[in-house]
Amino acid sequence: MASTAASVSPPPERAAEGEVSLVRLYVLRATYLLLVVGLGAVIVPPLVSHELVARGVIPSLLGAVWLLAFLGLRYPLQMLPLLLFELVWKTIWLFDFGLAQYLSGQRPPTFAEDSFNIALGVILMPLVIPWPYVWRHYVRRAGARWR
Amino acid sequence: MASASPSFWRRGDQEVSLARLYVLRAFCILFFLAGPFIALPDVIHPDPAVRGLMSSIVAGFWVMSILGLRDPLRIMPIFLFEFVWKTIWLIAFGLPRWWSGMNSPHLSQDLLDIGTFPFLLALVIPWGYVWRHYIRR
Repeated sequence: MASTAASVSPPPERAAEGEVSLVRLYVLRATYLLLVVGLGAVIVPPLVSHELVARGVIPSLLGAVWLLAFLGLRYPLQMLPLLLFELVWKTIWLFDFGLAQYLSGQRPPTFAEDSFNIALGVILMPLVIPWPYVWRHYVRRAGARWR
Repeated sequence: MASASPSFWRRGDQEVSLARLYVLRAFCILFFLAGPFIALPDVIHPDPAVRGLMSSIVAGFWVMSILGLRDPLRIMPIFLFEFVWKTIWLIAFGLPRWWSGMNSPHLSQDLLDIGTFPFLLALVIPWGYVWRHYIRR
């Protein structure tokens, strides 16, 4: 991989894109598309019309995931923090709150819907995220300057 | 501060100025320190009767804030996410309820905790960088 990158130096954005396969880029785009379509169908109606007394924190959060997923269609690698964030918070929910709700036997009415949507994310994201790229860019690469 | 050279404030040939990096990092540190107080009790002792989405999401932000300390520009989507969801909340939920006169202690707290952030984040986010990397590119 190093030899192909060294011969001609492409512009930085092309270089970043060249770090994962085209198939991976399409898989990522498909994931963002899934968020745009699937989450959009669920989240846009309550955002547009809701009771005035609704607190609205959860719909707003999910609405933001939906909006930023559009950016992901165009910049699948740059928007990876969004997918990482999705994986992290959903994993925390599944093994913490989800498990507690499941084991308690007194599941809240939201349990079925939440556990399905969240478990889907926890299964899907690790398959979709290009881990070697994440390793190179978010762990091994030097951080931003301090001085 | 006294030794601040123009390069501290100006980005020059860098993506953003050093000052901007410190502002972004300060935001991450603030959240890194505040996050456990907001979410940790619920995460450690999850109440089965509570839906738990909020606490999980805050915990997710907390993990991302660690990445942001090292290189805040890499997690710009998370800053944008914070800006977008809080703006959505303010426009779709907070302000309509406030204007309707249906005030409650909950709303006042939310207006402070959520509603002030779009303005704060608008100052913190390097919009030139966002424009170059997430729109024009």
